[in-house]
Amino acid sequence: MTTGVSALQAALAAEDAAIYGYGVAGAHMGTGNRELAQQYWTGHRQARDTLTAMITALGATPVAAMAYYDLPFAVSNASAAMALAAHLEDGVTAAYLGIVAVSSPRLRSFGAAGVQAAAARAAYWRGTTEAFPGMSGLSPMAAAISSRRLSAP
Amino acid sequence: MPRRRLLISSAAALPLLVAVAGCDSRDLFAGPDPLGGPPPLAHDVVVLEAAITAENQMISRYKSAMSARPGSSGAGRLLATLLAQHEEHLAKLRALLMIPRGIPASESPSAAAPVTGVVTVADLRTAEQKSAATLSDQLLTVRPALAQLFASIAASDATHAAALSQVKI
Repeated sequence: MTTGVSALQAALAAEDAAIYGYGVAGAHMGTGNRELAQQYWTGHRQARDTLTAMITALGATPVAAMAYYDLPFAVSNASAAMALAAHLEDGVTAAYLGIVAVSSPRLRSFGAAGVQAAAARAAYWRGTTEAFPGMSGLSPMAAAISSRRLSAP
Repeated sequence: MPRRRLLISSAAALPLLVAVAGCDSRDLFAGPDPLGGPPPLAHDVVVLEAAITAENQMISRYKSAMSARPGSSGAGRLLATLLAQHEEHLAKLRALLMIPRGIPASESPSAAAPVTGVVTVADLRTAEQKSAATLSDQLLTVRPALAQLFASIAASDATHAAALSQVKI
């Protein structure tokens, strides 16, 4: 059973990966998308801070961000940059879906809002919608963990 | 004493025994009153049936909207894509519900009434937004796995609304 703390930790890990990855992706985007990537990067930092505070309030130690993340594929142009951004948001979507599994209605609502926000960003970068955001064949926890393989060697 | 044991051992005599004793059958059983009629549906089942009905209605709306647009147009292709995703939603929701054999689909509690009148892209967008909001409320009261499915479908519906907002009418 997913606990509140473990689900929040997984979301924090996904946010840390997104913060790192957007730094790479944004550098390869055109002006308009670069500004949007900057906004999303700021939003992920704020989400990271929120999750850190929530985890601390529950008496746990927030997981630390990795110093370095391996990219899932090479990023050298705008198309690859947008694909990376979509990949990052897919990981965030799956992680927040993990929070929806906890019993607290407050956390479920928080998780569901995170799922919708991340899925919307992913759809923008990908250019298409999906039937089941965050559920792409993986359990939400597994999907969140795989996003860290944005990841340690 | 032996005569009372015989009465108790006969299931057919149970109602008589209960009536004679002047007690409710609930006094004899720990669970729901077996003489009280069919038990109510579980909350999750009720909510799931409502979600299935809603998806059926959404699909009807999309088909109605698509009948007025060429499938080869940009808007037509988008509607076809979103319709396909709603059909995926419906299949996954239906897979969670056991419908007794012999009940025709038209009598199923989740069968939707046919959509009448013209359905516009704006109508679809409003319906998607409403669906996302409804599922976001419902996920708070169901078991975890169903809550996650609802959250994912709600997110999908929200992205549909955003995509529809880009359609030039």
